[in-house]
Amino acid sequence: MKQFSTWRLLLQLGRSRPRLSLTHAGLWTVIHSSQLLPGLIAYAFFDTLTGEADTPGGTSLLVALLVAFGLAQVLLIFAAGYAETLMRFVMSGLLRRNLLRHILQRPGADALPFSIGEALSRFRDDAHEAEDDLDWGADVLGSSLFAIVAFLILLYVNARVTLIVFLPMLLVVAVARRASDALGRRRAVSSQATSQVTGAIGDMLAAAQTLQAAGAEARAVAHVRSLNERRRVAMLADRVMTQVLDAITSNTVSIGTALIMLLAASNLRDGSMSVGEFVLFVSYLVYIAEFTDGLGQFLAHYRQTGVAFERMTALVSGAPMTVLVEPSDLHLRGTLPAVSPPTRFATERLELLEARGLTYRFPETERGIDGVDLRLPRGSLTVVTGRVGAGKTTLLRALLGLLPRDAGEMRWNGQPVDDPASFLVPPCAAYTPQTPSLFSETLRQNILLGLPDDPATLAAAIYGAVLEDDVRTLEAGLDTPVGTRGVKLSGGQLQRAAAARMLARNADLLVIDDLSSALDVETERVLWERLFANESTACLAVSHRRAVLQRADHIILLQDGRVTAEGPLEQLLANSAEMRALWHDTESGEGLE
Amino acid sequence: MALIATPNRARVDSKTPTPGDNAHTPRRLWRLPAHYLRPQWPRMVLLALTLAATIASQVVTPLVARAFIDEATSGAALRVLIVLSLVTMGLALVGQAVAVAETWVAEHVSWTATNELRADLVAHLLRLDPAFHAAHTAGELIERVDGDVSALARFFSRFIVYVLGNGILILAVLVLLFFVDWRVGLGLSLFVLMGLATMLRIRASATPAWVAERQASADFYGFLGEYLAGAEDIRASGAGPFVLRRCAEEMRSWWAVALRAGMWGYAIMASSQGLFALGTAFAFALSAMLYRDGTLTIGTVYLIFQYMVLLRQPTEQLRTEVQDLQQAGASLSRVEELLATSARLTDGPAESLPPGPLAVELDGVSFVYSGDLPALRDISLRLEPGRVLGVVGRTGSGKTTLTRLLLRFYDPDTGAVRLGGIDARDVRIDAVRARIGLVTQDVHLFNASVRANLTLFDDSVPDERLNAVLETVGLDDWLRALPDGLETSLGAGGVGLSAGQAQILACARIFLRDPDIVILDEASARLDPATERLVQAALARLFEGRTGVIVAHRLATIDFADDILVLEDGQVREHGPRLALAADPDSRFAGLLRTATGEVIA
Repeated sequence: MKQFSTWRLLLQLGRSRPRLSLTHAGLWTVIHSSQLLPGLIAYAFFDTLTGEADTPGGTSLLVALLVAFGLAQVLLIFAAGYAETLMRFVMSGLLRRNLLRHILQRPGADALPFSIGEALSRFRDDAHEAEDDLDWGADVLGSSLFAIVAFLILLYVNARVTLIVFLPMLLVVAVARRASDALGRRRAVSSQATSQVTGAIGDMLAAAQTLQAAGAEARAVAHVRSLNERRRVAMLADRVMTQVLDAITSNTVSIGTALIMLLAASNLRDGSMSVGEFVLFVSYLVYIAEFTDGLGQFLAHYRQTGVAFERMTALVSGAPMTVLVEPSDLHLRGTLPAVSPPTRFATERLELLEARGLTYRFPETERGIDGVDLRLPRGSLTVVTGRVGAGKTTLLRALLGLLPRDAGEMRWNGQPVDDPASFLVPPCAAYTPQTPSLFSETLRQNILLGLPDDPATLAAAIYGAVLEDDVRTLEAGLDTPVGTRGVKLSGGQLQRAAAARMLARNADLLVIDDLSSALDVETERVLWERLFANESTACLAVSHRRAVLQRADHIILLQDGRVTAEGPLEQLLANSAEMRALWHDTESGEGLE
Repeated sequence: MALIATPNRARVDSKTPTPGDNAHTPRRLWRLPAHYLRPQWPRMVLLALTLAATIASQVVTPLVARAFIDEATSGAALRVLIVLSLVTMGLALVGQAVAVAETWVAEHVSWTATNELRADLVAHLLRLDPAFHAAHTAGELIERVDGDVSALARFFSRFIVYVLGNGILILAVLVLLFFVDWRVGLGLSLFVLMGLATMLRIRASATPAWVAERQASADFYGFLGEYLAGAEDIRASGAGPFVLRRCAEEMRSWWAVALRAGMWGYAIMASSQGLFALGTAFAFALSAMLYRDGTLTIGTVYLIFQYMVLLRQPTEQLRTEVQDLQQAGASLSRVEELLATSARLTDGPAESLPPGPLAVELDGVSFVYSGDLPALRDISLRLEPGRVLGVVGRTGSGKTTLTRLLLRFYDPDTGAVRLGGIDARDVRIDAVRARIGLVTQDVHLFNASVRANLTLFDDSVPDERLNAVLETVGLDDWLRALPDGLETSLGAGGVGLSAGQAQILACARIFLRDPDIVILDEASARLDPATERLVQAALARLFEGRTGVIVAHRLATIDFADDILVLEDGQVREHGPRLALAADPDSRFAGLLRTATGEVIA
């Protein structure tokens, strides 16, 4: 993967909204450069007062100028403030939107390699770092212009004092730059510690019921406390180091002032330097030091932003860093984007989907599936069965491209499918995972997820998922909000809502992972019955239920990731001891009588 | 109060108090920080000392400069001028060293205090009932526990240093200016007062905007967290564009409040800048007049100018501090609101349930989730100690609700749940739960080690015990394959577990505890029959001498139940000994058995 330097990424981010970025940078440059004026006014004031210079209009004009300057500043700040608020929101919003878009595209069993809390911390804090950097970058640009002009003015007033005072300053900038490298490393440690804390907090709160039922609340809090402590230590080191860096730069002002005093002592005595000139030196020195201070902070922060970009890229691993900064519309104004119905990749409807040698191993455990062949003709039911941990879910995910396969090939009606993740999606294929996720929307939105609200499709999907009675009893029917993660629904309702979501997509291939785990026997029977009524789809299901196994045209028996037997049920029961073990007393009441 | 609540959120959680008019009175604003800062008073004293040193060095430096200018313009000895320059340099070095020390102390105080607050908040949230957790996404709560508390962190660490320190600095400068000339002192005091008054007025108007902004941001991360957790469903449903549209909607409403909040911040900055320029103009006009009178030396004019510059920094810092204070005030009221959300259920007076196996008794129990159809209607039944009850029924018939009442996640609306003859409401909640072991269908794995996942963060459980339990449930092979054994981390970024393995792991958690009542709610639904038999055999042993409740769809799962309860629409359809019901051809249970064994689906 090509690495991109932070400034390139920031530049590209800025370029995505060229007018906004330029307006923002321009306005803040004006604000920073205008700080040259008060120093010049003070210079003229002191010299007019002591009679060194003769300003037309005298001190009253200078006072009037200062008042006008103040009023102009107020107006400028409001304009620049608006630009800054918008720029910050748009830039971090863009990063967050791009992150979300690519996470929804990337293959991966757990679509995120991090806990939700940790992922959110990257969305929140790391995008914020980049936003800060863009803003401060413009500030540094503006104040460096000020610093250069100020330097030239001072050089013109008194070249000797200027050079002697400002040369050490360059040295300090160099030192600060080196120190900022070390600071960057501290930052990485402290933000890692922060994500661990947010991750653990999210974890504990998501599992509140588990912890309460087990009476483990106090121990969970103790775990959070120990992570908290680690973060405190890391943060302390980080902050103190930042302050030391600050102290180095601010010391330049004070030492510079003292140097000016030393150098000016004789000049002031013999009148070769005026009080006004002394005032000008001291006040510009303050501003220039503020600039070096800001530059030092910016550089330290810049490192941090590099880390932030890396952390954000880790969320979309596999994609290049530049996807983070791709231009895209945030739709803050105007009409919201229409949700286009899924486009069809395959030109023809499914006749036969074949997979050969499908292989995927989890990198951590080396477990997974190995060389699995599948043949899914239209109108057929293929059932995958096997013990816990045999690789059934892994097989479905690898087929759908939700896991990146290590080996194997697929053909749709004989045409090779290279990227199943973007091909085997609606309307070619639809999927109900074992533990489906519902979202804090209405039931209708949860089923449609952006499909056009067509009553016929919706009714068919609800009927197919045996959800019609439930919809009737829900307080607001289809428009009932289901609560976070669908908590307002029972386990069975949740699973059937997910099935309705799958059916609403009218896909050629249905992939179903253990639909029955939260359904009672009767509901499940009706559901399968309605599912099989549609002859035009191919269906691949994981199940242990007898009724489903009997219905299957083809059964694939997995053991430790390999197919150890396959065929119709009678054949397997005759030939496979493992199948007989799984079949034995499956869900029946044989032991009851 | 501009607390935005989505309709369903407001409806579910009616117990959350809305911060009323007294939310921002100083007393309330101070109570929480004071509570967390009190234990750290020695460090606070140290902080005050370093602060005093910094202020002193800042006030003295311009006085040295005045002496320097006056001496230089009046032709004093060069040696005197050099000494004055060196004093300036010395003051600067000391000031910076003190500033570093100050940061260390302040950060230490702040992180200790806010970490304490974070932990307390997590502990508090873990005490709240499921209704609360159902109404708030984990993402939203993270934003509150960490986001809001981090906004408070700066307030804790820097409030003293900046607000108090700068206040004293401003006061010291103004007093010195009165000594220089009363007119100058009075004039500049008026400017400072005007500045502060303006900022406080702006702060009052801005706080609601900040509260709204933080809520909008919490809503956004709540939205994001939920869809990230369901990313696979979204991908497989081709619903990416839908989520991106929702993202645009969320960002749009966030932006509306963010702009308002942001512009209030710039209003403060602009007013401070404008006032400072006016103040300098005033100081110039006045000192020009007094210099021409001969009242002031040029060195004193310079001193006034320098003090004006010196006043600018603390005022600017006060300005940013006021800005932080707004955020902190908003965060503080949200944190307080969270802490004030009380659990709906309260502890009973009794310390514990009677020892030994417990009888379970439901006496006329009815229960309705807020605003819904009744989940349970007039349920009465008794389960003798040591017996196992199998609960069957269609989805939504109230089976899970029943288990939730036993664990006191909810209290019945009418009737009573009695454990060992005692009303569960009359006992401490944790004492009830300590006696019950629950395994549900959905297993939550923590991003922590296998050990922590098994023991739920109890490090005192010896390895042998863990190994033995894993062997009992048949996870010993799996354990041996793990790279770091019990210390291998599970969950995101670690080793994955299949849904079935996770269920077995959850069963293992129960083995490690010693509950008197064991509740299995679809605990083996995700297991294949062969594995289920293995786990069942282990569980059968676990049930010896304990009271059990098994909720199941698969009838094989309740093979070893003594009694059967058939629920329908929240009512008891059938209840009796399993063998008797199975033998009665007219019973509902026998009908279910026939459906299950009836091999053909019509």
